[in-house]
Amino acid sequence: MADFGMSDQELEQMYQEVILEAARDPHGRVPEDRPGSPAPHDGVTMKVEHGYCVPAESQQFNPTCGDHATIHVEVSDGTDGRPKAIRRIVWQGDGCSISQASLSVMVDLVQGRSVEEAMHLAEEFHSLMESRGAGIQNEDAEEELGDAVVFQGVSKYPMRIKCALLGWEGMKASVAQALTDMDKEKEQA
Amino acid sequence: MVDEARIRSQFPILDQEVHGHPLVYLDSAATAQKPVSVIDAVRDFYLRDNAGVHRGAHELAARSTVAFEEARAKVAALVGAESHEGGEEIVVTAGATAALNLLATAFGNASLGRGGGAAQRFALKPGDEIVTSKAEHHSVLLPFQELAYRTGATLKAFDLDDQGRILAETADQVITERTRVVAITHVSNVTGAITDIDPIVRRAHQVGALVVLDVCQSVPHLPIDLHAMDVDFAAWSAHKMYGPTGVGFLYGRRGLLEALPPASFGGSMVELAYMDKPAQYMDPPARFEAGTQPVAQLIGAGVAADWLRAIGMDRIAAHEATITRGLLRLGQVEGVRILGPTTPENRIGTVSFDVKGVHPHDVGQFIDSRGIAIRVGHHCAQPVHRHFGLFASNRASTGIYNTVAETDALLEAVAEVRHFFKVD
Repeated sequence: MADFGMSDQELEQMYQEVILEAARDPHGRVPEDRPGSPAPHDGVTMKVEHGYCVPAESQQFNPTCGDHATIHVEVSDGTDGRPKAIRRIVWQGDGCSISQASLSVMVDLVQGRSVEEAMHLAEEFHSLMESRGAGIQNEDAEEELGDAVVFQGVSKYPMRIKCALLGWEGMKASVAQALTDMDKEKEQA
Repeated sequence: MVDEARIRSQFPILDQEVHGHPLVYLDSAATAQKPVSVIDAVRDFYLRDNAGVHRGAHELAARSTVAFEEARAKVAALVGAESHEGGEEIVVTAGATAALNLLATAFGNASLGRGGGAAQRFALKPGDEIVTSKAEHHSVLLPFQELAYRTGATLKAFDLDDQGRILAETADQVITERTRVVAITHVSNVTGAITDIDPIVRRAHQVGALVVLDVCQSVPHLPIDLHAMDVDFAAWSAHKMYGPTGVGFLYGRRGLLEALPPASFGGSMVELAYMDKPAQYMDPPARFEAGTQPVAQLIGAGVAADWLRAIGMDRIAAHEATITRGLLRLGQVEGVRILGPTTPENRIGTVSFDVKGVHPHDVGQFIDSRGIAIRVGHHCAQPVHRHFGLFASNRASTGIYNTVAETDALLEAVAEVRHFFKVD
């Protein structure tokens, strides 16, 4: 039988320090707007900040464990002469340490990147999560993924892969939405 | 007392190591493990007797049919229901979820005028009320919520106290003259609390409402006499009472089953079928058992029911109470909150808990690394989690095979969780 759980040693491998730390104070997280929530630090909110960008949001939910996140992106429309890019990405949500840490690492990786680069990274991360613990065997890709390679340990466990992919799926969906809205605006103009 | 070693020897699955630790199975509320006698019965049936039931005239069909009906009688005996031919009160279904959906669909059919005058006692219309509780499993809540939407009836719910107990003492206010159906759990699959059903049943019958009881979590752990409890319908599954998956039961008072219109249509539930006029349906229980039945599974369930009766439900309850006390010590672990009654009275050994600062998915992963199986998530009961201000929790639940030493192992592992995730 396949062994989908883990020994103590494997547990440490999965919950690497990077993951535990990122989960405790994840980047790009906007505190939820509800009684008792701490005030947003540094004044970070889900409000649109870049007027020249097209904003979009995507809600992601993992019904088995309740991980949930709303990912907000602002994508520049290329009129600045540069490729369309993710100018801002923040999120609201809650969940297990794997989902929270993955969201945090994803934000660090794609913030400011062109849409093309961000989609390329998402693909590489997807390959990593499909590697069943083996990793992607590609040094360039590993270098590009940076801190995200710590999720290699998670890819061994089918029950947890969804947690790690939650943020990336949300990023892809919200960027796709922004691009669609951009096209619509162009048509109307 | 229950002979622990003798019981455990009947569950070979428990005798294994997981991640280098002896397996501790504390997830019986999700599904119980099966004793060898149940596994053998299923195997023997396929090896010797396998055939469809209630059709065909050959020897194997006859053996299968007799075994099927005997198994129904064994299950009936476990819960104090009738099983003599023509008086059967147990309908075989694909599971508890299927049983509750059958019932809600049948009520909906009656509301559309199907089943004739006798079925009108099940009919609902705008202004009528269906009463449930905030502690329900989704398999109770959703079929009856849908029934309310389809018929225009209003769905109401019993509130819970701060330990998650259904406030049965509010029955006289919650259940009104407009209430037609009360669908409620006997034991919560999250809090483990046993509902004080007497005031609820009394009030429901006073206003002419029907009581549907979810006994999934009580049948495997407590002595149950459905006649004495005076409920009208009840539903549960075999796999939580040490039987196979794929089979469950709908209990109905005989007179009610006779008046209830069918909800699922097909072979073996009809006496006469025509192209140009309505079919004439069979009497219960066949009326509700369309299609090929889970024969091997029911035979296994019958063996499980006899096995439980042979040990004695009182003794099982007493043994599990000692395990429950062991699990309730979780409340003394730093950062742990029990979602449900914190003392052993009027509860079973299903103990859900929250570990402050650590998501249940992470808790479950850590506990699993010690070879301990618990359930994490919302346990198909989101409203009760919302009651506690959470979305998900961790749940340890007992079976007859658990030991106090196993609760020690769980406690030890849980005590390490916050340190591992560095939130202590």
